[in-house]
Amino acid sequence: MREPFVPRERRAFLGQYRPKIDGREKASGRATYADDLASPARFPGMLYAKVLRSPYPHARIRKLDLSKAERLAGVIAFLRYDDPEVASLRKTNAGWTDGVDTVSYRKMMWGTFRDRFVLGDYACWAGDEVGVAVAAETELAAEEALRLVEVEWEVLPFVLDPYEAMKSGAPLVHPDISSNNVFPPDPFGGGDVFVDKGDVDSGLASAQLVVEGRCVYHNATQNSLDNWCCLVEWVGDSLTVWSNSYATDQTRMHVSQMLGLPIHKVRAVSPYVGGQFGRGDTGDQPFFLFTALLAKKTGRPVKFKHTRRESFHDSRQPAIYEAKVGALRDGTITSMHYKSLGNAGAYADHTMFALKYAPKEITEVALAHVRDVRFESFGVYTNKIPACMMRGVGNSQFNLIFGLMIDKVAEALGMDPVELCVRNFGHEWESLPDKSLERVLEEGSRRIGWKEKRHAAGQGPVYAGTLRRGVGFSCHPAWHAEWQEVRRGKVQVGVTLNPDCTVMLNAPSVETGNGSNTCNVLGCAEALSFLGVEPEDIHWSSVVDSDRGTKDCVQTDSAVSFLQSELMALAARELKERIREIAAPVLGAEAPELEIERGRIFPKAEPGAGMAVKELLSSGDLAPITVFMSRQPLADKTGVPYIANFAEVEVDTSTGRVQTLKLVVINDCGTVMYASGAEAQQVGGQCIGMGEALTEEIVYDEATGMPLNFNWIDYHIPTMADMPDIEPVLLEVWKGGGEYGACGIGEGTVTCTPRAILNAIYNAIGARIDEIPATPDKVLRALGKI
Amino acid sequence: MAAAIETIETETSLGSRRAKTETIHIRVNGSWREFELGRDLQSETTLAQLLREALGFTGLKTACDEGACGACTVIRDGKAVLSCMVLAVEADGHDILTIEGLAEDDPVVEAFAEQCEPGYGTALQCGYCTPGFVMAAKAFLAENPSPTLADIKEGLSGNLCRCGCYAAIAMAVLRAARKIAERGGAR
Repeated sequence: MREPFVPRERRAFLGQYRPKIDGREKASGRATYADDLASPARFPGMLYAKVLRSPYPHARIRKLDLSKAERLAGVIAFLRYDDPEVASLRKTNAGWTDGVDTVSYRKMMWGTFRDRFVLGDYACWAGDEVGVAVAAETELAAEEALRLVEVEWEVLPFVLDPYEAMKSGAPLVHPDISSNNVFPPDPFGGGDVFVDKGDVDSGLASAQLVVEGRCVYHNATQNSLDNWCCLVEWVGDSLTVWSNSYATDQTRMHVSQMLGLPIHKVRAVSPYVGGQFGRGDTGDQPFFLFTALLAKKTGRPVKFKHTRRESFHDSRQPAIYEAKVGALRDGTITSMHYKSLGNAGAYADHTMFALKYAPKEITEVALAHVRDVRFESFGVYTNKIPACMMRGVGNSQFNLIFGLMIDKVAEALGMDPVELCVRNFGHEWESLPDKSLERVLEEGSRRIGWKEKRHAAGQGPVYAGTLRRGVGFSCHPAWHAEWQEVRRGKVQVGVTLNPDCTVMLNAPSVETGNGSNTCNVLGCAEALSFLGVEPEDIHWSSVVDSDRGTKDCVQTDSAVSFLQSELMALAARELKERIREIAAPVLGAEAPELEIERGRIFPKAEPGAGMAVKELLSSGDLAPITVFMSRQPLADKTGVPYIANFAEVEVDTSTGRVQTLKLVVINDCGTVMYASGAEAQQVGGQCIGMGEALTEEIVYDEATGMPLNFNWIDYHIPTMADMPDIEPVLLEVWKGGGEYGACGIGEGTVTCTPRAILNAIYNAIGARIDEIPATPDKVLRALGKI
Repeated sequence: MAAAIETIETETSLGSRRAKTETIHIRVNGSWREFELGRDLQSETTLAQLLREALGFTGLKTACDEGACGACTVIRDGKAVLSCMVLAVEADGHDILTIEGLAEDDPVVEAFAEQCEPGYGTALQCGYCTPGFVMAAKAFLAENPSPTLADIKEGLSGNLCRCGCYAAIAMAVLRAARKIAERGGAR
C-alpha cells in the first residue's frame, strides 16, 4: 500500500480514490470511438478518402495526370488542387486557437502565419498532404488509386537544420511570409526580444558568478493510439462531421468558416477519443475540409482516417536553448538571459506559442523575484515535420534549460539546487520562500532519498563494475490555475433535476481519457449532496454534440477537471432556490424559511416536518428543473502552485544505456478533484516524459530529407517493461479562487521529467548530455568513449 | 454481421462451382461462421479487418496495423494473437475470442474497470488500448495464474498504452489473478 493523499478538507465525493466513471464501458470494449462509428453498417454507401502525400521534403506539382487512376474499379471521385472549390479556399494554418477558446478565421491566433493550403500544389515536408484526394468504395482502392496518379514533380532543394535555414541562399520554405525562413514578428507573440526586465547586460557584467548553458529539445510526437479519423455526411445543405477531434465547437467553427457555411448548417460530434496529448494543434486540420468536399461531390458519407504512419503528422516544437545566468555568492540569482531557436518545420502553427507564450507566463510567476530577465526567441521554417502542440507545450522545452541552469549554478556555488530554487523562485503575488515550492521540493527530496543518494557528480559508488547511479530533479510553476484560463471565454454547464431526483448533467467536454468527466460527475454529486444525489444518479454523455448548443469545454490544460465543477457549485445554489420556491406553497412556508438536507426539505424552525424532495417534485407536473450557468473563469490573480519530478537513474558506462530506477512526481493541485484520476495523470505522464528523455525521436535521412521511423518499432515508446517504479505525490498547499481553487496538472506531469533524468545522469556519471533523447551513443560520447 | 452468413446460405449453388478450400470456417465467440474467399473476404483481409468491419466486433482496435502496439489483440485457441498480423484465411478452422465474447462478470474486465487504489492511478484513461490489454492479460493469466510483477511486466510488454497506465494495469492483472483464484480458477 502506497502513502495515500490526504485531503485538506474532507468532501462527500471529490478528492477520493474511486474507479473512473467510464471504466466499465472502456474495459469491456463497449466504448465507441470515431473509427468504430464510421462504419458501412452505420453509414450505408460510405466511401473511403485518402490524400496524396509528398515523397519529397520540398517539391511543387507541375502536372497531375489522373487518367490511369480514374479507370480503377471502385474509385468514385477525385478532388484536385486546381478544382475551383479547392483553389478558391483561403490559406490557413492549424493553429487558430491554443485550444481554450473558439475562434473565427479572422481572429485566429497566428494570423501572421497563414502558410497552409487546404490541398495545394506545394509540399514542404516529406509527408505533406498535397495535390489530390480520392474517394473510393474501399480503403484499398483509394490507396491504389493514389499509386496510379501520375505526378510530375518539380523537386526543390530542401533544408532541415534551422541554422542552415537562416543562412543566405538557403532554400525558402514560405517565401511569401519570410525571405530568410525566420518568422517575422507577430502581434500575439511580440518581437524577438519578448521579455526584457531590469538590465540583463549590466546585471551579468556585475554578477559574482556567471554560468552558461545550452540544450536541445528534439521532436518527439504525441502518438495517440486513436489515429485521426473523421466522417462527413451531408443531408441537403447541412453537414455533420463525426471525428476524434477534442474540440467540437472549434471543429464546427473551422468547417463553417472555411467552407462558408452558416454555423447552424454544421454539426460536429465527438464520441470517445483515444488520447489527445496536443496532436494536430487544436484540430483546424485541412483533412476535415477536403473530406467534406468529397462527401459533397459524391453525395455519400466519406470517411478519412490516417494510418499509423500518416499519424506522424506533427511533432513537439523542437527548440535549441542557450542561457546565461548571473548570481551572487550567497545564492541570489540576479540575471537570466534565455535565447531560443525553434525549428518550426514546414508550417508555423503554434511554434511561437511554445517559444514565447509559455516562457512569458513563467516570467510572471517563477521568475518574478529575479531582477533581470531577458527572453529572445526565433522561429525558423525548415522542411521537417511541422511543429505542433504537445502535452506541456513550451513549458517542457523551457524546463530543459531552466533545470539545467539551476543544476549548473548550484554546482558552481557549491549549493544544494533544492535550496537554490527555494531561495529564488516564487511568484509576484507572494514573498519568498514560496510555500508551495518549498513543500513540493521537500516531499520530492524525502521520497527519492535526496540527501542520502546524492553525491558529487560522477563520484558515487560503482556497481557491478560499470554501473553508476545518480539522482536529479527539476521543478516548474504550474500554469493552469483558473485565472490563467480566462482566454477560454465562457464556461457553460446545465444541470437538470428530474422529478425522481436523478440528474441530467450537461457539461460537454470530449472524453479523451484524462478523467475530467469523472471530475464533473463527482463535482455534480458534491454540489447536489444536499439532495442526497450519488454519482450513480447522474447521467452524463460520453458524446459531445455541437447540436446541444452548450459550449464544449475543451480538454486542454486539465482545467476541465475543475472549471465546470466550479459552475456546478453555483448551479446547485440556484437549484436549491428553485426547489424552495416550489415547496413554499406546498409546505405553507416562505421559501427562505426552508432548508434542504440529504434529500429532505423542511422548515428551518421545524426540522421534523417537511417532505422528501423526490415526493415534492413527483407530486407536481413532473417538469424537470433546469439551471443553466454561463460564466467567465475567475480572473483574480491567485498565483500558481508548483510541480516537480525527482529521478534516480542507473547508467551503464560500458554500453551507455540509461535505466530509470525511480521517478517521484509531485503536484500541488490546490484541490484534488479526483485522486485516482490525478495520480493516473502523474504516473501516466511519465510514459511521454521518460520516452522523450531517453528513446523517442523522429529520425531523418539527412541526405534525402526523409523521415525514417514513422512506426512504433523504430520510434520507441516505453512499454510496461521499460517503466520504473513511479511514486505520485498529490499536495494541497496553494489554493486558487472559487469554491475549489484547483489547478490543472496533466500537462505538468510531463514537463519536468526529461530534465530530472538528465540531471540524474550528470549526477551519476559527471558528464552532461544536453540533447534529448539521451541515447547510449550520446552517453558514451559524453564519457569520451566514442 | 448476419448479412455475410445469409448471403452464403442463399448462394449455396455457388459453392459447388468453387473448391472446398475457398470456404473459410472460423469460430468467433463460440459460434461457427462461414466465409467465402473472394466474396466475403479477400486473401489479404486481416483477421482484424474481418472482425471489425464484416462482423462488427469493434472492441479490438487497429492502431498500428503492423504488429507494434497490441491494441488488436484477440485470443486464438487460447493464445493471444495480434489480429492485424493474422490473415483471415489463416484463422480457418480456429477458435477466436474477442472482448465481446467475455462474460459480463469477467474478472479481468472487472479488475481493469475497478482499479483505483492509491499510488498507481487507474488502469485506463482513454481506453483505446484497453481491450487489447484485457485480452492479452486473459491469455497471460491462463498460462500463469499467479504471476509476479516482473512476470506481468515481461508478459504484457507487447502492448502500448500512451496514457501510460502501466503501473495500474499491472496492479489490475494481479487483482484479476486473485479474482480468478477466488472463483475457482480460469474459465
